[in-house]
Amino acid sequence: MTESATDTIQSGGSAATAAGSTAAVRPAPAEAIALRNVTMSFDLGRSKRMTALEDFNLSVAEGEFVALLGPSGCGKSTVLRLVTGLEQATSGEVLVEDKAPADLAKSHRLGVAFQEHALLPWSSVRENIALPFRLARRAVDWQRVDELIRLVGLVGFEKARPRQLSGGMKQRVAIARALVLSPDVLLLDEPFGALDAVTRRRMNGELARIWEEQHITTLLVTHDVEEAVLLADRVVVLTGRPGRVRHVQTVDMPRPRHADITRSAEFRAVVDHLTDLLDVDRKAE
Amino acid sequence: MIRRSRLAGLLHLWPIVALVLLWDVWVLANGYTSIVAPRPWSVINDVVGNPDAYAIDFLWTLAISVGGLLLGMLLGTIAAVLISLWAPMSAVLTPAALIVRSVPVTVMIPIIARVFGYEVYTVLVVTVITSFFPAFVLGLSGMASAPASSRDLFVVFGSSRPASLWRLRLPYAVPNLLLALRITAPLAVLSAMLAEFLIGQQGLGYLFIVARSYMEIDRAWGTALVATMLSVFAFLAARFVERRISPRFT
Repeated sequence: MTESATDTIQSGGSAATAAGSTAAVRPAPAEAIALRNVTMSFDLGRSKRMTALEDFNLSVAEGEFVALLGPSGCGKSTVLRLVTGLEQATSGEVLVEDKAPADLAKSHRLGVAFQEHALLPWSSVRENIALPFRLARRAVDWQRVDELIRLVGLVGFEKARPRQLSGGMKQRVAIARALVLSPDVLLLDEPFGALDAVTRRRMNGELARIWEEQHITTLLVTHDVEEAVLLADRVVVLTGRPGRVRHVQTVDMPRPRHADITRSAEFRAVVDHLTDLLDVDRKAE
Repeated sequence: MIRRSRLAGLLHLWPIVALVLLWDVWVLANGYTSIVAPRPWSVINDVVGNPDAYAIDFLWTLAISVGGLLLGMLLGTIAAVLISLWAPMSAVLTPAALIVRSVPVTVMIPIIARVFGYEVYTVLVVTVITSFFPAFVLGLSGMASAPASSRDLFVVFGSSRPASLWRLRLPYAVPNLLLALRITAPLAVLSAMLAEFLIGQQGLGYLFIVARSYMEIDRAWGTALVATMLSVFAFLAARFVERRISPRFT
């Protein structure tokens, strides 16, 4: 992406705040990710089936950041795995850029970061970030790799091996690796789930900053309400098993959002509202 | 510091010193003649005094062991890779590998010799068979040890199957393959010598049988001594390689 493109989107972002809705500034937002009437059930053996998702609908516009929020085991990771093409829906339709999800993976336009960093233990930070280039059989753009190392704040650790890094640093490498090919779609599955609260908060601030540089269509799966509200344009709250959409919350707080926004009354109000929604779900269980 | 570690290194040799001393005491206490059991000094004297009597056979066994070891491990790794690339291959390879593994190599040697002839490369074949299985089994489990999250990641990044093999599963198998090397190295020496003993025309196993039939007791025991050293050396070399390389892959 060029800088001017980034600028346009950013000024668009602030205009959106004025208009009160993010959707208003993108005249006809192309649909980047679409799940229509998706049901997903797993065979548990002994003729038992577990339904993870039922009649699930979700649409993510191009350049939009959507967070899927729900209690653990509600099927939110299943949504993500469907979008990566790692799992096939039992019924319904999953489209990424109007094609089957696996197409995007095969054309190397998908970026992912999971809860497990999945770094290669024998490779340096630099080599780990360069991996997607190698798997795409492209010449490694080392300038791009070094730019991302700067972006995620790992300058000086280029040659370090994963085991020499802290948990937070490993996740930053994973995020850089997800971004290195400038993917069309970014999928994040609890990327900071294994981190302590303080590190997690800082990483969220950094992810928000990184995302400002290039508004990539992003689907984030999390059970952390603050994380979802800080990062997303829309937060989709899921019910427990089987997963369905309970509520969609548009977050139109201005970008760039810094970590100190989490102390504002507006932010707290949204967080409290969503937390209540999750709590209803738990009581019902 | 260096002197201290050298001293510690020498201290590690105590079992050898103890063994040689016990050997001598055992011979003296029982009053064995040199035909029954020679004293260590005369055996060591024969080895040190006639290096060229041992050299060619030593080098021969060394070459066959190393060659058979590497070839066997290579074949074992290739078989593991084939299964990893194409699962139905397991039905073809695993039973064959298990049968070869289950039959004692001593029993197999005359049969292999019947098939391949009483030739040098029969000895090599025996060594290859011994070296195949550990690399095959440990290689397979090593490749399977690549975490699911990494495999998912490779799929999502659109990796080809060869790339996943080369960049993910094989590197994860390296520590296991080095473990196989450490386990197999002394076994390769053992099976090479056994084959030489039974069918060979050269090598330490053959030297032993010739020396014994000519009642050259010092030479026969000297061969055993040299073979032991070769075996221990093979183990230590493999362990050195493992310790050097394995940490780079974990």
